[in-house]
Amino acid sequence: MATIILDRMRKEFGATVAVDDVSLEIPSGRLACLLGPSGCGKTTTLRMIAGLETPTAGEIRFDGRRMNDIPPQRRGVGMVFQNYALFTHLSVYENLAFGLRVRGVTGREVDQAVHRFAELLELEALLGTGVARLDLSTMQRVALGRTLITQPHVLLLDEPLNNIRPGLRETMRAELRRLQLELRQTAVYVTHDQEEALSLGDQIIIMRQAQVEQVGTPEEVYGRPRNRFVATFVGSPTMNLLPCRLAQDDGRLRLVADGLLFGAERWARAREAGPDLLLGIRPERLTLGSGGLQAQVTLVQSTGAEQVLELMIGAHRLKAVAGRDRRFSPGQTVRLDFPSPDLYLFDARTGEALYE
Amino acid sequence: MRILAALRWLIALFAAAVILLPVVWTLSISFKPPREWVAYPPRLIPEEPTLANYQVLFQVGNPVGAIAEMTRSAESVSRAFLNSLIIAPVATVAATAIGFFAAYAVSRYGAGGPLFPLSVLTTRMFPPIAFAIPLLVYFRMLDLIDTRLGLVLMYTGFTAAFSLWMIKGFIDGVPRHIEEAALLDGASRWRVLFTITLPMVKGGIAAALLFVFILNWTEFLLALVFSSRHATTIPVQVSHYAGAVGRFYGPQAALGIVASLPVVGAGYLIQRHLVRAFTFGLVK
Repeated sequence: MATIILDRMRKEFGATVAVDDVSLEIPSGRLACLLGPSGCGKTTTLRMIAGLETPTAGEIRFDGRRMNDIPPQRRGVGMVFQNYALFTHLSVYENLAFGLRVRGVTGREVDQAVHRFAELLELEALLGTGVARLDLSTMQRVALGRTLITQPHVLLLDEPLNNIRPGLRETMRAELRRLQLELRQTAVYVTHDQEEALSLGDQIIIMRQAQVEQVGTPEEVYGRPRNRFVATFVGSPTMNLLPCRLAQDDGRLRLVADGLLFGAERWARAREAGPDLLLGIRPERLTLGSGGLQAQVTLVQSTGAEQVLELMIGAHRLKAVAGRDRRFSPGQTVRLDFPSPDLYLFDARTGEALYE
Repeated sequence: MRILAALRWLIALFAAAVILLPVVWTLSISFKPPREWVAYPPRLIPEEPTLANYQVLFQVGNPVGAIAEMTRSAESVSRAFLNSLIIAPVATVAATAIGFFAAYAVSRYGAGGPLFPLSVLTTRMFPPIAFAIPLLVYFRMLDLIDTRLGLVLMYTGFTAAFSLWMIKGFIDGVPRHIEEAALLDGASRWRVLFTITLPMVKGGIAAALLFVFILNWTEFLLALVFSSRHATTIPVQVSHYAGAVGRFYGPQAALGIVASLPVVGAGYLIQRHLVRAFTFGLVK
């Protein structure tokens, strides 16, 4: 357990800036997800926390203690790598025991710990096997066990479930969360999968192009995105965006998008923003009913539990999520309702979200 | 397809024949009495097979006979064997150890700059004789001429570059993440090097050991220049079986066969690693 603080951390590789003035606080015992597209600097940030990369500038503190000059092996940090980084010349048992042996633990103590974690991760039957012959998900459990067995204060995970088939992924995700809660470690989990991040994290840190875009709970980044990038990166299917302008209509503010009109009293501040705006609504919030605007179905995709509809309103393409109780077919005309509390507004030029 | 496979076999057989023929011929000569050594037409199977060529190696002048008479002035091979058995392995282990550490430094830290690995190969770009004269001057000052230490130092220096190149390919193949994982598990850099990296490249090290050993075991020119009595090695000893009337092919062949046994044995033991080492380590 340790509170991790990054204070204006910066990392340059030659002329490229991989991490640009990132400041963060990850409270003790929480699981933070570093979420962002590949190349956004999330892995570099993680590696700086581990001590595997030296920051170009900025400070990193665990519980107020400066860590910049502490080598990785003395930071009390454990890390699970994307490709597991198992010691392929050793057995499962020896992989698990490695961290303890390095610390000078011997004999029965090692044996007990290995068996305890092997039981926890269902590896008992495989202890004598060489790790090179295991399947990916088993390798992942060995990597996890090898890291957890030394009981690090800080647990770092770099896309650890990437190579695991869907289905098993969800199980392992839940398993991971359970273990982290049980061992009460501060954990940082790097992923580019927003669904994984939302389901796992206490705190979501969204990064893009070396910078932090937003930090918040899963509800906050989903429900109150700070900008267009966060709004479209989080949530699936992606949030619908309609270009629009603000108009004054008999004393009332209105949003005009190609002949569509929306009430805009909530966005008094929008006047200060540029003339070009984007109206956003999540596909799962669009309601298909008898009232509202007319739209034409162009494509129906079933996900099993629900249906994702592609629709045209005038020249605009939108997506909507519908339940299984109604049947839709391309060409059909439906009526779409835009519930006012679920609408978002963005400045089209800066991408910034506008709230009342 | 069938023609292609047959062709492949044919080429392989031809290559094997080219390589094996001298070996087989040497073996044949080593069992031949003197008058069959250069008999014409040549015969592969000796008419009167004899072990005398082998006997004179270790027991000079015994048994009596033409071969013993010819090689009376040569020394017993025991000293040369002892020298070779000390010089070659010591130099090989030293060169491989240096090569391993250097390869690690180059692979992981880019030590010495990008040109360093290539520049260490320059010791192999000149004929050894080009180094022999200046080294002779140094060695005379240091009193290293005709000593085992002198040859060990020289062999180590000349072969470390090879082991660096052979082992570097293997270390490049060990993912950095594995070392980082061990580091984060609490191991020191040295511990990571010896308990993680070293076992993972042991195939490359075995191949480098064998390759360097062959070079050191068979080196002739420097040994000839730098030894006169005390530090004589087997290849030099082979040259001693010659007289005013020509070379004594029988004892030379016998010594050649005996001397190649350790190399063949070691090669057989690590053949699994050899292919990888010679393609991955040397071919870039």
